[in-house]
Amino acid sequence: MIRAAVLALLLLAALPGGVARAESVTRERLPNGFSVIVRENPLAPVVAVTLLVDMGSRLERPATAGISNFVHDLMIQATRKRGGTELAETMANLGGKISAAGDVDYSGIRATALARFWREALDLVAEIALEPKLTADDAAGSRDFLLSRVQRRQDSPSSRAFDEFYAALYGAHPYALPSLGTRESLKRIDHAAAVAHYRAFYRPERMILAVSGQVTAADVVLAARRLFGGMPAGGAVSDAAIPPPVAAGRRVVVEQPAQQAQILAGGIAPALNDADHAAVKVLSTVLGGGMAGRLFSELRDKRGLAYTATSYYDPVREPGAFVLYLGTAPRNAARAEEALLAEIARIKTQPVGAEELGRAKGYLLGRYAMDRRTNERQSWYLAFYELARAGADYPERYRRAVEAVTAADVQRVAQRYLARPTILVLRPK
Amino acid sequence: MRVLSRHLTGLVGLGLLVLSVGGCAGLRADGGSPTAGVPRPTRVVLPNGVVLVVQEHRASDVVALQLWMRVGGRDEAPDELGLSHYLEHMLFKGTAARPPGSIDRYIEGVGGTSNAFTSYDATHYDVVVPTAHVRGGVELLADIAVNASFPPEEIDGERQVVFEEMRLLEDDSDKFLQRRLYETTYGDHPYGRPILGTQPLIRGLTRDRLNAYYKKHYVPANMTLVVVGAVTPRQVRPIVEATFGRLARTAPTRPAVPDSTSLTRAPRVDLTRTEKQAYLGLAWKTAPVSGADVFAVDLLTYILGESSSAPGRLNRIVRDREKLVYTIEAGYGAWQKGGIVSVLSRLEAANLDRAERAIVDVVRRIQAEGVTDAERERAIVTAESGYVFDIETAEGLAKAYGQAETTWTLDDELAYLARLRTVTSAEIQAAARKYFGADNYARVRFIPGAAR
Repeated sequence: MIRAAVLALLLLAALPGGVARAESVTRERLPNGFSVIVRENPLAPVVAVTLLVDMGSRLERPATAGISNFVHDLMIQATRKRGGTELAETMANLGGKISAAGDVDYSGIRATALARFWREALDLVAEIALEPKLTADDAAGSRDFLLSRVQRRQDSPSSRAFDEFYAALYGAHPYALPSLGTRESLKRIDHAAAVAHYRAFYRPERMILAVSGQVTAADVVLAARRLFGGMPAGGAVSDAAIPPPVAAGRRVVVEQPAQQAQILAGGIAPALNDADHAAVKVLSTVLGGGMAGRLFSELRDKRGLAYTATSYYDPVREPGAFVLYLGTAPRNAARAEEALLAEIARIKTQPVGAEELGRAKGYLLGRYAMDRRTNERQSWYLAFYELARAGADYPERYRRAVEAVTAADVQRVAQRYLARPTILVLRPK
Repeated sequence: MRVLSRHLTGLVGLGLLVLSVGGCAGLRADGGSPTAGVPRPTRVVLPNGVVLVVQEHRASDVVALQLWMRVGGRDEAPDELGLSHYLEHMLFKGTAARPPGSIDRYIEGVGGTSNAFTSYDATHYDVVVPTAHVRGGVELLADIAVNASFPPEEIDGERQVVFEEMRLLEDDSDKFLQRRLYETTYGDHPYGRPILGTQPLIRGLTRDRLNAYYKKHYVPANMTLVVVGAVTPRQVRPIVEATFGRLARTAPTRPAVPDSTSLTRAPRVDLTRTEKQAYLGLAWKTAPVSGADVFAVDLLTYILGESSSAPGRLNRIVRDREKLVYTIEAGYGAWQKGGIVSVLSRLEAANLDRAERAIVDVVRRIQAEGVTDAERERAIVTAESGYVFDIETAEGLAKAYGQAETTWTLDDELAYLARLRTVTSAEIQAAARKYFGADNYARVRFIPGAAR
């Protein structure tokens, strides 16, 4: 059964996006270095726009943590033409939503709209990107709001546990920093610093616009030239290299009022472009992918030791985090942690069976295909892969790499990347 | 709209560390609205009462299969609380022909996904599989619909999982606020009950009890199968007739539930919680999904503002102008036997009283002066947009159809957007006057403090 299943998946893979789809992707780099990617998708009357900028907490320091996100919260408060209320109303009139945020590897603006309003939606994204008002008053408002969000993250046991885990795992590497920032950093970032940060990073060479939906590529490219082609070129991007993180393999315990205990274990894993990326994705899926993954089936289904039992390993530009995550009752916490470590030991010493490996690959590639069905996700993937310099053929290469992963590969990467796992326990008090 | 999921997905991850708020948009969670270009689905009632809804949807080479059951939290007797949800957990555990674990392995191995949800009105089992596996997927759903085996050790193991779900709910401020607000608003009405059940009832749950509830409610007359994807009705129907069509006909036995009428008192609940910020929830009882006012209330909810980023009156006045809250959003739960409009906000404790007054003032203003044409137009475009984005995926469209067929009607669903467009500003104002009194709302507040 499983063998036939994998064959079916290959078939699915051979028809990216589907059967009746007349889909094409157009790419253009404007003379000033600005990149435009358009995916024509005639199926639904919607459009999604993603503008990504090469700035994020990856390039921040403890004192400036959260500045990229801060800048984006400020940008969307008002432009030189419109106040915040008018911005939100204009977007809603287009049947759309718009948001701006800073993340780990990138920051930017995302919008969706009914396809008949694609031009207006693109104009609005450009207006926020190129003509933000950035007033001192709005900066104070953004700071208060972001501090309230930091507080909310601190109050949420699972969010707090992840933040503490990344801090313990990455040490001095910037991936240790929350992209939302910290209470200390947000209080220190002033209006002038935010404006300077915006000017330093909003340059055409650092920017990628991806549009997916019921649009004509030639029209979108023309509009993008008109809107972004006039930005002055600022020179090539050359950020200082970031020294690779060194996992300390520590066990950290934090206490917080909560009903549920949180247990995280994991290690520093390869970056998106690393040759081991696909094998670690399969490893992550064998352990924590779906309800047939080992954590869910063994720890939750068979032994009732956890409620949430899953794994995370997101593609990022620098070495990523491979995280195994359990949420459980306080009285089960000790046994759950023991069982989790036993699963880590098992996968390092015993090869994965053929059927289990096939299930994991099927699940992984199935999820990947399903996640790339909406225009919103497509525009994000197109922009992110461009930003990460993954190459236009990345999805196909990734699929082939996953299919080629063997049981020996899984065991090898488990031994390598889970050699001394970092552990974080959040204990209810 | 609160829908409880079999498992939590996408909670946290590197980068986008944002906890999602339990969905509360306008009526979106409950029903959709068609738009030009979407063909009508085919609807067939099989001789034994199973309803089959099929629509071809060629956005990708997958098919969404959803089994919708007319059973949910509201059908439970007071000593049965949590049984609908417990069943939802148990059905994917195995059948006579499928040992524990094999269902998940099958679905995931073909690159598919599965999930299940329980609400007050319905329970649904969702599968998405590559088109080549439609037959296997339908056979699976028909099997779990009547042949679940309830292995005793699986029942016992799942108890801890449900207890965990209760803890998780309590740790999530937004979801817990919504839960307490339903409880406070509906009181003894079935919509006020905990869908997860209570600790003592779940502890004492027996296999016989569970099986009896299953046998009573999981009958053909309560079943709707929705199939949306790269298939035609002609391909699907024989498969469904050979599976669901063979189930023995049984009389439906859904217990009657009274309509929930508007609040005559104003229940108030304050809870001390360990969060450093305060949470405020207000709720008014409004039109049920089948009520004539559902369209006006839906537009009114959009005008109030259905999310933190929406340009509603609440955001404009209470957050941006008065600066009393960090976030605020209105949601409309249009259930079969009652509607609820809730306003949830996160704020500093010192602002609790003033924020509440400001929210009530926003409502009062609409009652007195009505809404503008621009607000009405924007609400309609927002509803249209919500619909077309929902139906980008096969499972999104299947959910809209399943929900409508189970708790509303498919025809109402298909006419929804057209009906919304006919609502006048005066009707929106009238709905505000009819349902939103200054003192007929329920209130729940979470107040920061050390104790829990």
